[in-house]
Amino acid sequence: MGLAGVNLCGLTNGNGIQLRKKRMLRVDIHALPQAATLRCTGRIVLGMESETLRCMAESRSEASLILDLSEVHTMDAAGLGLLAELHCMALRRNQALRIVRASRPVCELMALTSLHAVLDVSDCEEAELDGDRKGSCFAGRYMTA
Amino acid sequence: MHVTPRTEEQQRISKEFAFPGDAESLASSRQAMMDFLTPYFSNEAQEIDFFLTLQEALANAVFHGCQNDPSKTIQCRIEIDPSAVVITIRDPGPGFDPYGATQATEEGTNLTTYGRGIFLMRSLMDEVNYLHRGTELHLRKLRAASA
Repeated sequence: MGLAGVNLCGLTNGNGIQLRKKRMLRVDIHALPQAATLRCTGRIVLGMESETLRCMAESRSEASLILDLSEVHTMDAAGLGLLAELHCMALRRNQALRIVRASRPVCELMALTSLHAVLDVSDCEEAELDGDRKGSCFAGRYMTA
Repeated sequence: MHVTPRTEEQQRISKEFAFPGDAESLASSRQAMMDFLTPYFSNEAQEIDFFLTLQEALANAVFHGCQNDPSKTIQCRIEIDPSAVVITIRDPGPGFDPYGATQATEEGTNLTTYGRGIFLMRSLMDEVNYLHRGTELHLRKLRAASA
């Protein structure tokens, strides 16, 4: 029951040939009277992707805002910063912001930067965080698409 | 036919890049460096490590070093030898304190939009060093360790 969607993938040239296969970001909104779920697919990185999610989250006035990050395969520092920003925005607006079903790479990044301790995170894929990540290529678990 | 083994010097390759210092150029700048690096990755994990690292490094150079000004130039160099990939990124900005920039994130108290990029790069690379008051970034990733 996605009521709206923004899809930033599928750039094509003049002949309609797909130039970029990997999806950048798709956001599907499932809206109920008291809650809106933003289901994100693709990557949340600096630029159009972060701006799109910011605008879509800011436009929701429901009491509860849910970010479903189960299909987010890549997130950079700007994406993590956006989660912190949306958390602060929700506090100001007396909204409840919850992050659900975050993918393993997103869980790992939130844990690495200690955001998981601040944000309301549930149903997170179990992150295998160990003490020493250096050289471990932990980002190798990022790519699912 | 006798084949002379190639010396390490002969196996070392490098390339220099110059990019405009604005956000619109960021994705194409990153992609140009990734296009050069990609043949040397042995797995997708390395590719994502470098993708994220270049994203953070170039974003810092664009927004902090160049103030998103396309008339300013970011100078980059990639060196690849059998043991490591070394990337140097130089911006024309006034520099900054790279240690102060990550303090809140390291302490787990960062609730702002910024301050996580350097922290992520340190997690992904084997060496991350800022020189010349923070205007020159040296990144090093061991190839054997990440293969």
